[in-house]
Amino acid sequence: MALLTVTVNGEKMSVEVNPDLRLVDFLRDELQLTGTKIGCGKGECGACTVIMNGKAVTSCLVPVMRAEGAVIQTIEGVAHKGKLHPLQEEFINKGAIQCGFCTPGMIMSAKALLDHNSNPTREEIKEALGGNICRCTGYAKIEEAVLAAAARLREGGGDL
Amino acid sequence: MEFMQAKSAREALEALLKARGQAVLLAGGTDLMVNIQEGKAHPQVMIDINTAADMKGIRLEGEELVIGAAATLSEIDQDPLVVKYFPSLAKAASTVGSLQIRNLATLTGNVMTAQPAADGAMALAPLEPRFAVLSEEGERLVPMAQMYAGFGKTALDQSKELVKEIRIPLPHLGEAAAFTRLELRKSLSLPMLNTAAMLKMEQGVIAWARITMGPVGVGPVRATEAEAFLQGKPLTRENAAEAGRLALKNAKPRSNPLRGSKEYREEVLPVLVRRTLEDIGAQLGVL
Repeated sequence: MALLTVTVNGEKMSVEVNPDLRLVDFLRDELQLTGTKIGCGKGECGACTVIMNGKAVTSCLVPVMRAEGAVIQTIEGVAHKGKLHPLQEEFINKGAIQCGFCTPGMIMSAKALLDHNSNPTREEIKEALGGNICRCTGYAKIEEAVLAAAARLREGGGDL
Repeated sequence: MEFMQAKSAREALEALLKARGQAVLLAGGTDLMVNIQEGKAHPQVMIDINTAADMKGIRLEGEELVIGAAATLSEIDQDPLVVKYFPSLAKAASTVGSLQIRNLATLTGNVMTAQPAADGAMALAPLEPRFAVLSEEGERLVPMAQMYAGFGKTALDQSKELVKEIRIPLPHLGEAAAFTRLELRKSLSLPMLNTAAMLKMEQGVIAWARITMGPVGVGPVRATEAEAFLQGKPLTRENAAEAGRLALKNAKPRSNPLRGSKEYREEVLPVLVRRTLEDIGAQLGVL
Protein backbone atom coordinates (compact mmCIF):
# COMPACT_ATOMS: atom_id res chain seq x y z
CA MET A 1 0.00 0.00 0.00
CA ALA A 2 1.05 3.58 -0.60
CA LEU A 3 -0.15 6.95 0.64
CA LEU A 4 -1.93 9.04 -1.99
CA THR A 5 -2.79 12.69 -1.49
CA VAL A 6 -5.25 13.88 -4.09
CA THR A 7 -8.08 16.35 -4.52
CA VAL A 8 -11.25 14.83 -5.98
CA ASN A 9 -14.19 17.08 -6.77
CA GLY A 10 -12.85 19.75 -4.45
CA GLU A 11 -12.19 17.45 -1.53
CA LYS A 12 -8.56 16.96 -0.56
CA MET A 13 -7.82 13.54 0.86
CA SER A 14 -4.91 11.36 1.96
CA VAL A 15 -5.65 7.68 1.58
CA GLU A 16 -3.83 4.38 1.59
CA VAL A 17 -4.13 2.80 -1.84
CA ASN A 18 -2.90 -0.25 -3.68
CA PRO A 19 -0.48 1.23 -6.25
CA ASP A 20 -1.50 -1.49 -8.74
CA LEU A 21 -4.87 0.23 -9.18
CA ARG A 22 -5.74 2.41 -12.10
CA LEU A 23 -7.20 5.83 -11.36
CA VAL A 24 -10.58 4.62 -12.67
CA ASP A 25 -10.57 1.68 -10.21
CA PHE A 26 -9.74 4.02 -7.34
CA LEU A 27 -12.57 6.40 -8.26
CA ARG A 28 -15.16 3.68 -8.77
CA ASP A 29 -14.24 1.06 -6.19
CA GLU A 30 -12.60 3.04 -3.39
CA LEU A 31 -14.53 6.32 -3.60
CA GLN A 32 -17.73 4.79 -5.03
CA LEU A 33 -17.77 7.46 -7.73
CA THR A 34 -19.29 5.10 -10.26
CA GLY A 35 -20.37 7.84 -12.65
CA THR A 36 -17.02 7.34 -14.38
CA LYS A 37 -17.49 4.28 -16.60
CA ILE A 38 -15.12 1.60 -17.82
CA GLY A 39 -15.68 0.78 -21.47
CA CYS A 40 -12.74 -0.64 -23.38
CA GLY A 41 -10.06 -0.31 -20.69
CA LYS A 42 -7.57 0.67 -23.40
CA GLY A 43 -8.09 4.40 -23.82
CA GLU A 44 -10.04 3.92 -27.03
CA CYS A 45 -13.61 4.70 -25.99
CA GLY A 46 -13.41 7.68 -23.64
CA ALA A 47 -16.05 6.42 -21.18
CA CYS A 48 -13.59 6.77 -18.28
CA THR A 49 -12.62 10.37 -19.09
CA VAL A 50 -11.99 12.60 -16.08
CA ILE A 51 -10.30 15.98 -15.78
CA MET A 52 -6.86 15.78 -14.17
CA ASN A 53 -5.08 19.07 -13.51
CA GLY A 54 -7.31 20.80 -16.06
CA LYS A 55 -6.87 18.24 -18.81
CA ALA A 56 -9.15 15.47 -20.04
CA VAL A 57 -7.51 12.07 -19.59
CA THR A 58 -8.70 8.48 -19.88
CA SER A 59 -8.52 7.33 -16.26
CA CYS A 60 -8.04 3.69 -17.30
CA LEU A 61 -4.55 4.65 -18.53
CA VAL A 62 -3.49 6.47 -15.37
CA PRO A 63 -1.86 4.50 -12.55
CA VAL A 64 -3.51 5.74 -9.37
CA MET A 65 -0.24 7.00 -7.89
CA ARG A 66 0.28 9.25 -10.88
CA ALA A 67 -2.58 11.28 -9.39
CA GLU A 68 -0.39 12.15 -6.39
CA GLY A 69 -0.90 15.86 -5.73
CA ALA A 70 -3.34 16.15 -8.63
CA VAL A 71 -6.70 17.86 -8.82
CA ILE A 72 -9.28 15.47 -10.28
CA GLN A 73 -12.78 16.25 -11.39
CA THR A 74 -15.34 13.56 -12.19
CA ILE A 75 -18.92 13.73 -13.41
CA GLU A 76 -20.07 13.78 -9.77
CA GLY A 77 -18.28 17.11 -9.30
CA VAL A 78 -19.82 18.91 -12.25
CA ALA A 79 -23.16 19.91 -10.72
CA HIS A 80 -22.89 22.78 -8.26
CA LYS A 81 -24.91 22.79 -5.03
CA GLY A 82 -27.51 20.49 -6.50
CA LYS A 83 -27.86 22.53 -9.68
CA LEU A 84 -26.89 20.87 -12.93
CA HIS A 85 -24.12 22.41 -15.03
CA PRO A 86 -25.30 23.98 -18.32
CA LEU A 87 -23.59 21.08 -20.14
CA GLN A 88 -25.66 18.55 -18.23
CA GLU A 89 -28.87 20.52 -18.80
CA GLU A 90 -28.20 20.95 -22.50
CA PHE A 91 -27.40 17.24 -22.94
CA ILE A 92 -30.91 16.64 -21.57
CA ASN A 93 -32.56 19.47 -23.53
CA LYS A 94 -31.02 18.48 -26.86
CA GLY A 95 -31.59 14.75 -26.49
CA ALA A 96 -27.86 14.12 -26.50
CA ILE A 97 -28.26 11.10 -24.23
CA GLN A 98 -29.69 7.72 -25.10
CA CYS A 99 -28.27 4.79 -23.18
CA GLY A 100 -26.10 7.19 -21.20
CA PHE A 101 -23.00 5.06 -20.86
CA CYS A 102 -20.75 7.46 -22.78
CA THR A 103 -22.34 10.57 -21.29
CA PRO A 104 -20.10 11.12 -18.23
CA GLY A 105 -17.01 10.87 -20.42
CA MET A 106 -18.57 13.12 -23.07
CA ILE A 107 -19.43 15.75 -20.46
CA MET A 108 -15.96 15.66 -18.93
CA SER A 109 -14.29 16.06 -22.34
CA ALA A 110 -16.68 18.88 -23.20
CA LYS A 111 -16.12 20.55 -19.83
CA ALA A 112 -12.33 20.40 -20.23
CA LEU A 113 -12.85 22.22 -23.53
CA LEU A 114 -15.29 24.86 -22.25
CA ASP A 115 -13.21 25.52 -19.13
CA HIS A 116 -10.59 27.19 -21.32
CA ASN A 117 -12.61 27.99 -24.46
CA SER A 118 -16.14 29.22 -23.96
CA ASN A 119 -16.63 29.95 -27.66
CA PRO A 120 -15.54 26.79 -29.47
CA THR A 121 -16.16 26.13 -33.16
CA ARG A 122 -17.81 22.88 -34.27
CA GLU A 123 -14.36 21.70 -35.35
CA GLU A 124 -12.92 22.37 -31.91
CA ILE A 125 -15.80 20.47 -30.31
CA LYS A 126 -15.23 17.53 -32.65
CA GLU A 127 -11.55 17.53 -31.80
CA ALA A 128 -12.22 17.69 -28.05
CA LEU A 129 -14.79 14.87 -28.25
CA GLY A 130 -12.92 12.81 -30.84
CA GLY A 131 -11.78 10.37 -28.17
CA ASN A 132 -15.29 9.69 -26.89
CA ILE A 133 -17.31 7.07 -28.68
CA CYS A 134 -21.11 6.98 -28.60
CA ARG A 135 -23.00 4.20 -30.32
CA CYS A 136 -26.50 5.65 -29.86
CA THR A 137 -26.80 9.31 -30.69
CA GLY A 138 -24.86 9.84 -33.90
CA TYR A 139 -22.95 12.72 -32.25
CA ALA A 140 -24.90 15.58 -33.88
CA LYS A 141 -27.04 16.22 -30.81
CA ILE A 142 -23.99 16.05 -28.56
CA GLU A 143 -22.33 18.75 -30.64
CA GLU A 144 -25.52 20.84 -30.43
CA ALA A 145 -25.62 20.40 -26.66
CA VAL A 146 -22.02 21.58 -26.24
CA LEU A 147 -22.66 24.60 -28.48
CA ALA A 148 -25.78 25.49 -26.48
CA ALA A 149 -23.99 25.08 -23.15
CA ALA A 150 -21.13 27.26 -24.39
CA ALA A 151 -23.60 29.97 -25.41
CA ARG A 152 -25.18 29.90 -21.96
CA LEU A 153 -21.81 30.04 -20.23
CA ARG A 154 -20.85 33.10 -22.32
CA GLU A 155 -24.07 34.81 -21.24
CA GLY A 156 -23.13 34.12 -17.64
CA GLY A 157 -25.82 31.47 -17.32
CA GLY A 158 -23.38 28.99 -15.95
CA ASP A 159 -22.92 28.73 -12.23
CA LEU A 160 -19.41 27.26 -12.10
CA MET B 1 4.05 -3.17 -7.31
CA GLU B 2 6.09 -0.36 -5.90
CA PHE B 3 5.53 3.13 -7.33
CA MET B 4 8.29 5.70 -7.29
CA GLN B 5 8.23 9.33 -8.37
CA ALA B 6 11.60 10.28 -9.80
CA LYS B 7 12.64 13.85 -9.10
CA SER B 8 15.31 13.85 -11.82
CA ALA B 9 16.53 11.77 -14.75
CA ARG B 10 19.49 10.68 -12.63
CA GLU B 11 17.18 9.50 -9.84
CA ALA B 12 15.06 7.59 -12.40
CA LEU B 13 18.18 5.90 -13.77
CA GLU B 14 19.39 4.93 -10.29
CA ALA B 15 16.02 3.37 -9.47
CA LEU B 16 16.05 1.55 -12.81
CA LEU B 17 19.52 0.09 -12.22
CA LYS B 18 18.65 -0.88 -8.65
CA ALA B 19 15.61 -2.88 -9.83
CA ARG B 20 17.76 -5.04 -12.15
CA GLY B 21 15.26 -5.44 -14.97
CA GLN B 22 12.14 -5.54 -12.77
CA ALA B 23 11.22 -1.88 -13.22
CA VAL B 24 9.47 0.08 -15.95
CA LEU B 25 9.49 3.79 -16.61
CA LEU B 26 6.12 5.52 -16.67
CA ALA B 27 6.03 8.32 -19.23
CA GLY B 28 2.59 8.60 -20.86
CA GLY B 29 1.65 5.07 -19.89
CA THR B 30 -0.83 4.81 -22.75
CA ASP B 31 0.78 1.60 -24.02
CA LEU B 32 2.25 0.41 -20.72
CA MET B 33 -1.08 0.46 -18.88
CA VAL B 34 -2.73 -1.58 -21.64
CA ASN B 35 0.13 -4.08 -21.56
CA ILE B 36 -0.19 -4.47 -17.80
CA GLN B 37 -3.96 -4.85 -18.09
CA GLU B 38 -3.53 -7.54 -20.75
CA GLY B 39 -0.94 -9.39 -18.66
CA LYS B 40 1.90 -8.65 -21.08
CA ALA B 41 3.90 -6.64 -18.53
CA HIS B 42 4.40 -7.42 -14.85
CA PRO B 43 6.60 -4.68 -13.41
CA GLN B 44 7.59 -4.89 -9.76
CA VAL B 45 8.54 -1.23 -9.73
CA MET B 46 7.05 1.66 -11.70
CA ILE B 47 9.22 4.76 -11.98
CA ASP B 48 7.25 7.89 -12.83
CA ILE B 49 9.36 10.29 -14.91
CA ASN B 50 6.60 12.92 -15.09
CA THR B 51 7.86 14.28 -11.78
CA ALA B 52 11.47 14.60 -13.01
CA ALA B 53 12.08 18.33 -13.42
CA ASP B 54 14.88 17.87 -15.97
CA MET B 55 12.77 15.63 -18.23
CA LYS B 56 9.90 18.09 -18.66
CA GLY B 57 9.17 20.85 -21.10
CA ILE B 58 10.39 22.14 -24.44
CA ARG B 59 13.15 24.70 -24.83
CA LEU B 60 15.71 26.17 -27.21
CA GLU B 61 19.32 25.44 -26.42
CA GLY B 62 21.83 26.95 -28.82
CA GLU B 63 21.00 25.67 -32.28
CA GLU B 64 18.74 22.90 -31.02
CA LEU B 65 15.17 22.45 -29.91
CA VAL B 66 15.11 20.22 -26.84
CA ILE B 67 11.99 18.20 -26.06
CA GLY B 68 11.98 16.56 -22.61
CA ALA B 69 11.15 12.87 -22.48
CA ALA B 70 8.12 13.66 -20.31
CA ALA B 71 6.72 16.32 -22.71
CA THR B 72 3.28 15.19 -23.85
CA LEU B 73 2.05 15.17 -27.43
CA SER B 74 -0.50 17.87 -26.44
CA GLU B 75 2.28 20.09 -25.14
CA ILE B 76 4.22 19.50 -28.34
CA ASP B 77 1.38 20.22 -30.76
CA GLN B 78 0.58 23.51 -28.96
CA ASP B 79 4.11 24.65 -28.23
CA PRO B 80 5.01 27.95 -29.97
CA LEU B 81 8.61 26.83 -30.59
CA VAL B 82 7.55 23.54 -32.18
CA VAL B 83 4.87 25.27 -34.26
CA LYS B 84 7.41 27.88 -35.41
CA TYR B 85 10.36 25.63 -36.26
CA PHE B 86 8.79 22.23 -36.89
CA PRO B 87 5.14 22.63 -37.93
CA SER B 88 5.14 19.12 -39.44
CA LEU B 89 6.00 17.68 -36.02
CA ALA B 90 3.25 19.71 -34.36
CA LYS B 91 0.80 18.46 -36.99
CA ALA B 92 1.83 14.82 -36.54
CA ALA B 93 1.69 15.06 -32.74
CA SER B 94 -1.87 16.37 -33.02
CA THR B 95 -2.99 13.30 -35.00
CA VAL B 96 -2.01 10.62 -32.47
CA GLY B 97 -4.90 8.83 -30.73
CA SER B 98 -7.32 11.28 -29.16
CA LEU B 99 -6.97 14.40 -27.03
CA GLN B 100 -7.18 12.32 -23.83
CA ILE B 101 -4.35 10.13 -25.11
CA ARG B 102 -2.24 13.09 -26.24
CA ASN B 103 -2.68 14.71 -22.82
CA LEU B 104 -0.80 11.71 -21.40
CA ALA B 105 1.36 10.23 -24.16
CA THR B 106 4.87 11.45 -24.98
CA LEU B 107 6.86 11.79 -28.19
CA THR B 108 9.74 9.83 -26.66
CA GLY B 109 7.30 7.02 -25.88
CA ASN B 110 6.11 7.14 -29.47
CA VAL B 111 9.69 6.30 -30.49
CA MET B 112 10.45 3.84 -27.66
CA THR B 113 7.41 1.66 -28.37
CA ALA B 114 8.85 1.33 -31.90
CA GLN B 115 5.56 0.83 -33.73
CA PRO B 116 6.00 1.21 -37.50
CA ALA B 117 3.10 3.65 -38.00
CA ALA B 118 3.79 5.99 -35.06
CA ASP B 119 2.89 9.47 -36.34
CA GLY B 120 5.06 11.43 -33.93
CA ALA B 121 8.11 9.30 -34.66
CA MET B 122 7.42 9.47 -38.40
CA ALA B 123 7.45 13.27 -38.51
CA LEU B 124 10.44 13.40 -36.16
CA ALA B 125 12.68 11.04 -38.17
CA PRO B 126 13.53 13.28 -41.18
CA LEU B 127 14.43 16.12 -38.77
CA GLU B 128 17.45 14.00 -37.75
CA PRO B 129 17.08 14.32 -34.00
CA ARG B 130 19.42 12.83 -31.46
CA PHE B 131 18.30 11.18 -28.26
CA ALA B 132 20.10 12.01 -25.03
CA VAL B 133 20.42 8.59 -23.41
CA LEU B 134 21.46 8.18 -19.78
CA SER B 135 23.18 5.04 -18.58
CA GLU B 136 25.65 4.06 -15.88
CA GLU B 137 28.43 5.18 -18.23
CA GLY B 138 26.98 8.69 -18.48
CA GLU B 139 25.10 10.52 -21.22
CA ARG B 140 25.41 9.83 -24.94
CA LEU B 141 23.61 11.09 -28.03
CA VAL B 142 21.95 8.45 -30.20
CA PRO B 143 20.76 9.15 -33.77
CA MET B 144 17.17 8.15 -34.47
CA ALA B 145 18.09 5.38 -36.92
CA GLN B 146 19.86 3.59 -34.06
CA MET B 147 16.80 3.66 -31.79
CA TYR B 148 15.04 0.71 -33.43
CA ALA B 149 15.85 -3.00 -33.06
CA GLY B 150 12.73 -4.49 -34.66
CA PHE B 151 8.94 -4.33 -34.80
CA GLY B 152 7.86 -2.95 -31.44
CA LYS B 153 11.40 -3.30 -30.15
CA THR B 154 13.66 -0.47 -29.10
CA ALA B 155 17.43 -0.77 -29.43
CA LEU B 156 17.92 0.65 -25.94
CA ASP B 157 18.37 -1.67 -22.97
CA GLN B 158 15.34 -0.63 -20.94
CA SER B 159 16.75 -2.18 -17.79
CA LYS B 160 19.83 0.04 -17.88
CA GLU B 161 19.17 3.04 -20.10
CA LEU B 162 16.66 5.85 -20.40
CA VAL B 163 16.00 8.73 -22.76
CA LYS B 164 16.26 12.08 -21.01
CA GLU B 165 15.37 14.32 -23.95
CA ILE B 166 15.24 14.67 -27.73
CA ARG B 167 17.48 17.23 -29.40
CA ILE B 168 16.51 18.47 -32.87
CA PRO B 169 18.80 20.77 -34.90
CA LEU B 170 16.95 23.95 -35.90
CA PRO B 171 16.22 24.27 -39.63
CA HIS B 172 18.37 26.54 -41.78
CA LEU B 173 17.38 28.80 -44.65
CA GLY B 174 15.94 26.83 -47.58
CA GLU B 175 14.95 23.86 -45.42
CA ALA B 176 11.40 22.73 -44.72
CA ALA B 177 9.59 19.59 -43.61
CA ALA B 178 6.14 18.06 -44.06
CA PHE B 179 4.01 15.19 -42.74
CA THR B 180 1.13 13.41 -44.48
CA ARG B 181 -1.19 10.74 -43.15
CA LEU B 182 -3.97 8.62 -44.60
CA GLU B 183 -6.57 7.35 -42.17
CA LEU B 184 -10.01 5.79 -42.04
CA ARG B 185 -11.29 8.29 -39.49
CA LYS B 186 -9.79 11.40 -37.94
CA SER B 187 -9.72 10.38 -34.30
CA LEU B 188 -8.53 7.30 -32.50
CA SER B 189 -7.17 5.60 -35.56
CA LEU B 190 -3.75 4.46 -36.60
CA PRO B 191 -2.83 5.63 -40.07
CA MET B 192 -3.18 3.34 -43.08
CA LEU B 193 0.06 4.96 -44.21
CA ASN B 194 2.07 7.97 -43.11
CA THR B 195 5.00 9.78 -44.67
CA ALA B 196 7.27 12.65 -43.75
CA ALA B 197 10.12 14.47 -45.41
CA MET B 198 12.59 17.27 -44.99
CA LEU B 199 14.71 18.81 -47.71
CA LYS B 200 16.99 21.70 -48.46
CA MET B 201 16.75 23.87 -51.58
CA GLU B 202 19.97 25.54 -52.67
CA GLN B 203 20.37 27.58 -55.86
CA GLY B 204 17.16 26.19 -57.28
CA VAL B 205 17.91 22.52 -56.74
CA ILE B 206 17.48 20.02 -53.94
CA ALA B 207 20.74 19.83 -51.95
CA TRP B 208 19.46 16.85 -49.94
CA ALA B 209 16.18 15.17 -49.11
CA ARG B 210 15.18 12.85 -46.28
CA ILE B 211 11.98 10.90 -46.76
CA THR B 212 10.45 8.54 -44.18
CA MET B 213 7.43 6.29 -44.50
CA GLY B 214 5.41 3.80 -42.51
CA PRO B 215 4.15 1.24 -41.78
CA VAL B 216 6.40 -0.35 -44.38
CA GLY B 217 9.16 -1.85 -42.21
CA VAL B 218 10.84 -1.37 -38.85
CA GLY B 219 10.27 2.15 -37.50
CA PRO B 220 10.21 5.09 -39.92
CA VAL B 221 11.78 3.69 -43.13
CA ARG B 222 13.95 5.97 -45.25
CA ALA B 223 13.19 6.10 -48.98
CA THR B 224 16.85 6.17 -49.92
CA GLU B 225 16.31 5.58 -53.66
CA ALA B 226 13.91 8.50 -53.88
CA GLU B 227 16.25 10.66 -51.81
CA ALA B 228 19.19 9.93 -54.14
CA PHE B 229 17.04 10.64 -57.21
CA LEU B 230 15.99 14.07 -55.90
CA GLN B 231 19.49 15.26 -55.06
CA GLY B 232 20.64 17.98 -57.46
CA LYS B 233 17.24 18.25 -59.18
CA PRO B 234 14.67 21.04 -59.02
CA LEU B 235 11.57 20.38 -56.93
CA THR B 236 8.93 19.96 -59.63
CA ARG B 237 5.65 18.04 -59.59
CA GLU B 238 7.19 15.53 -62.01
CA ASN B 239 10.22 14.93 -59.81
CA ALA B 240 8.00 14.65 -56.73
CA ALA B 241 5.88 12.03 -58.52
CA GLU B 242 8.95 10.08 -59.64
CA ALA B 243 10.32 10.19 -56.08
CA GLY B 244 6.96 8.75 -54.95
CA ARG B 245 7.31 5.85 -57.37
CA LEU B 246 10.92 5.23 -56.29
CA ALA B 247 9.87 5.23 -52.63
CA LEU B 248 8.28 1.82 -53.23
CA LYS B 249 11.76 0.34 -53.68
CA ASN B 250 12.41 0.73 -49.95
CA ALA B 251 8.90 -0.10 -48.77
CA LYS B 252 7.63 -3.51 -47.66
CA PRO B 253 4.07 -2.90 -46.52
CA ARG B 254 2.07 -5.77 -45.05
CA SER B 255 -1.63 -6.44 -45.40
CA ASN B 256 -3.78 -5.31 -42.50
CA PRO B 257 -7.43 -6.31 -42.20
CA LEU B 258 -8.43 -2.82 -41.03
CA ARG B 259 -5.89 -0.47 -42.52
CA GLY B 260 -5.34 -1.64 -46.05
CA SER B 261 -3.92 -4.52 -48.03
CA LYS B 262 -0.31 -4.66 -49.19
CA GLU B 263 -1.51 -3.98 -52.75
CA TYR B 264 -3.58 -0.95 -51.73
CA ARG B 265 -0.78 0.49 -49.68
CA GLU B 266 1.63 0.09 -52.59
CA GLU B 267 -0.78 2.00 -54.84
CA VAL B 268 -1.23 4.84 -52.38
CA LEU B 269 2.26 5.27 -50.92
CA PRO B 270 3.68 7.02 -54.04
CA VAL B 271 0.82 9.52 -53.87
CA LEU B 272 1.48 10.31 -50.22
CA VAL B 273 5.20 10.80 -50.82
CA ARG B 274 4.43 13.10 -53.77
CA ARG B 275 2.00 15.15 -51.67
CA THR B 276 4.51 15.41 -48.83
CA LEU B 277 7.13 16.78 -51.23
CA GLU B 278 4.59 19.14 -52.81
CA ASP B 279 3.73 20.43 -49.35
CA ILE B 280 7.41 21.26 -48.82
CA GLY B 281 7.57 22.89 -52.26
CA ALA B 282 4.61 25.10 -51.33
CA GLN B 283 6.21 26.07 -48.01
CA LEU B 284 9.42 27.05 -49.79
CA GLY B 285 7.52 28.88 -52.54
CA VAL B 286 8.87 26.75 -55.39
CA LEU B 287 5.63 24.91 -56.22
